[in-house]
Amino acid sequence: MNSRLIFVLILLVVQNSYVFSAKHNSVELNPTSKAVRILDEIRVKTGNGIFIDVFDFENFSIFMKVLIIVIVYSLISMILLLGFILFHRNQRETEAKVWQILKEKYQLLLMDYLFNEEGLNHVPEKINKVAANTYKRRILVEEMKDLIINLSGNYADNLRDLFYKLDLDKDSMQKALSKKWHIKIKGFRELAFMNLKSANDEIIRCLDSNNSILRMEAQLALVRLNDTDRFAFLDHLQRPFTKWEQMNVHEMIVSHNLEVPEFQKWLNSGNNTVVIFSLNMIKVFRQVQAADHVIALLENNDPEIRKTAISVLGDLEIKKAVFYLKHHYKYEIYENQLAILVSLNKISDESALKFLIMVIDKEDDVQLQIEAAKAIRDLGDAGQKALEKLMHSNYKNYLIIIKHVLDKRI
Amino acid sequence: MQHIFNILGWFLSNIVLIITIMIFSAYVLLAIFSAITLRIYLRKNSYVDYNSLILAPLTPSISVVAPAYNESKTIVENIRALLSLYYNNFEVIVINDGSTDDSLEKVIKAYDLEKVNYFFDYRIPCKRIRGVYKSKNRSFHNLTFIDKLNGGKADALNAGINVSGKELICSIDVDSIMEPDALLKMVKPFLEETDSKVIGTGGVLRIANSCDIQGGRIKRIHLPKRFLARVQVLEYTRAFLMGRMAWSRLDGLLLISGALGMFDRETVIKCGGYSTATVGEDMELVVRMRRYMVEQGKKYKIIYIPDPLCWTEVPSTHRVLGRQRNRWTRGTVETLFKHKKIFLNPRYKKFGMLGYPYWFFFEWLAPIIEFFALVFFIFLIIFGSPNWPFAILLFAFVYTFAVSLSVWAILFEEMTYHKYEKKRDVLKLIGTAFLEPFLFHPLTVVWAIKGNWDYLRGKRGWGKMDREGFSDSSSPPGK
Repeated sequence: MNSRLIFVLILLVVQNSYVFSAKHNSVELNPTSKAVRILDEIRVKTGNGIFIDVFDFENFSIFMKVLIIVIVYSLISMILLLGFILFHRNQRETEAKVWQILKEKYQLLLMDYLFNEEGLNHVPEKINKVAANTYKRRILVEEMKDLIINLSGNYADNLRDLFYKLDLDKDSMQKALSKKWHIKIKGFRELAFMNLKSANDEIIRCLDSNNSILRMEAQLALVRLNDTDRFAFLDHLQRPFTKWEQMNVHEMIVSHNLEVPEFQKWLNSGNNTVVIFSLNMIKVFRQVQAADHVIALLENNDPEIRKTAISVLGDLEIKKAVFYLKHHYKYEIYENQLAILVSLNKISDESALKFLIMVIDKEDDVQLQIEAAKAIRDLGDAGQKALEKLMHSNYKNYLIIIKHVLDKRI
Repeated sequence: MQHIFNILGWFLSNIVLIITIMIFSAYVLLAIFSAITLRIYLRKNSYVDYNSLILAPLTPSISVVAPAYNESKTIVENIRALLSLYYNNFEVIVINDGSTDDSLEKVIKAYDLEKVNYFFDYRIPCKRIRGVYKSKNRSFHNLTFIDKLNGGKADALNAGINVSGKELICSIDVDSIMEPDALLKMVKPFLEETDSKVIGTGGVLRIANSCDIQGGRIKRIHLPKRFLARVQVLEYTRAFLMGRMAWSRLDGLLLISGALGMFDRETVIKCGGYSTATVGEDMELVVRMRRYMVEQGKKYKIIYIPDPLCWTEVPSTHRVLGRQRNRWTRGTVETLFKHKKIFLNPRYKKFGMLGYPYWFFFEWLAPIIEFFALVFFIFLIIFGSPNWPFAILLFAFVYTFAVSLSVWAILFEEMTYHKYEKKRDVLKLIGTAFLEPFLFHPLTVVWAIKGNWDYLRGKRGWGKMDREGFSDSSSPPGK
């Protein structure tokens, strides 16, 4: 990018040197010459040369002033930036050290408080002092958030109690109500960690925010804070539920050992992304009881939902799905046909053998043939015999494909 | 003659000033956009826990595709580094593009490889595959090694894409060093897609010259000792942190560097893969993918990530750097001419109305105009009498502006990832910024002109790219 600036330099030097050399050194133009007439015509056509006027001798000083201002600005900014960079570097290093020291110190303070049962009724003055200072309070809250992850039972309750006693909940509430999204998120997180439900209304309002990260943090906070119906937000979600959000919700369920709902109840959601999420959760938590509902989704209009349903049936190894998968194969798009063959491989049911042989015979696409052959390979003896027969087939040369699928190293 | 001279001068006065104002404005605007984008990105990213992605069951699968040509010095270590990337669902496909050194033998020995009965489906055309290798050792089950006839980088990448069985492909140079969490960071935009399909993501490249490297990983970061490599640190910082971030935000990005890019595999295949007819295959693919999506009427996105995700060795000699820049120029020209339909075509929206014209005027045309302007200036010195005080003032103006822009770029780096820990390094970088316009920029103009000249002469090859190789004290992997 910088190199282009140098280009500008040379161009400016050229153009202005030319303009001024023409004026100063009397490169006389003959007013009657054809060239001058052309030049004048061009000047008229281009609004009398809006730029060239800037360089008229009369305006020379203005242009010079602009140049000098930019030069001075550039020089000053360079010096200031250099100073700032060096100062910022020192400050950052110092801050990191101080933060670490204080965090360790507050950890000891909190541990002393929590493990000294006699002192639980009275908040030590040291902790009160820390909570009174904005900067130190931030570190204290961070430390409390870190600590509560590893605590349970009475200790966790006592820590929450301390959070109240220090009025930190009000602080978190204030953050949650902030107009700035990044402060709001801090508030949501603190409230969720401390299991404080006072800002639930505000969190619910943010479920439909335009800000994707705020929306996701609101979802995560609700999953933790809404004891009665953690996944209620799925009922009302209008916007696409991105894979990133889905993964974070899944992570929340697993890491906090939350009760897993029956995800089949969202399979009829009007939001396709919620349906896909529910299908994936049915797969991950192996909710085989939802099989019939998943099979029904093979008729869905959205190819992505159908593809996910096909994969889920395969992963859950639903035997009765074989019939439906075979039936839908010819109506499906290419990607979903591949998914059907992969699922049939996973289900591994002999009733699919004839169908799979037919796929190899009839399809010209190599990927489909390979997936069908893999499915046959994994059918046990019947599959092995079928592959041997195919190897000697005169109808098509399958040898190279079958060798490929029989090579277990691939 | 005098009249022609006058008309030419007048023409230069106007056109040049317009371009000057455009360039200055473009740089300032891009820097502002980048700053805003970086701030938003960093703030949002501060809430992200990438570790939750490592074992997540819903992550898309990725094939890391790495072409290699005569990389015998470092290939074993680099494959090991690729295999140890943090991700749960990925494979590494290394393509030996007809190397004439002992790369193949070294890799076979180090990773206990054997030829498999692979049925190769040439969905994208590429040169003949001599063999596909897999490891007998289960620890390396996600490594596939392809040995093929030499066909160039694009051809090798196409071979890798043909073998890939995953949803996304991540193309890298095998001699580049990826950050362990690079895949996690690059895959995130794909997970965040809503109504617009994410078809590609790119990450920031950093310069590995003079860094301490062990086991295919960067252990300690140092500023390059040689001026030519150090000046490229400045260039890369400006280009990535101040340029591409802004273009990503403006939806005008035309290039994801060939050293590191992640793409939706099906879209790449539908577009026909990498073009072997150009030396700028990385830029050409991005432009073709964008065209394809627009012409199919599909909404799409290409995202740039400011995190330093990949470290690469840059040329540190004039000869090799000249060849690289020559190739970049030819690649740019080839791509721009091949896709000239996009130029100022409203159908392609910002991509056609902003991104393409920017590359056309400022990346391709600018050095050519600069060169001719320089010739004209010399002509003036000889036959006219330039107004020297004014010329010097102008020089000071552009010089200080250029240097201050570089210092801003250093500030961007400092406020974001501050990879250079020593204060001395920052001072050295600033010193380099002061020298760059005199010692480096003229060379870039010469190389660009030569690139254009070679393009006109029909030169299409890559040219030899000697690498010094990273010094590495670690031992090669055992069987």
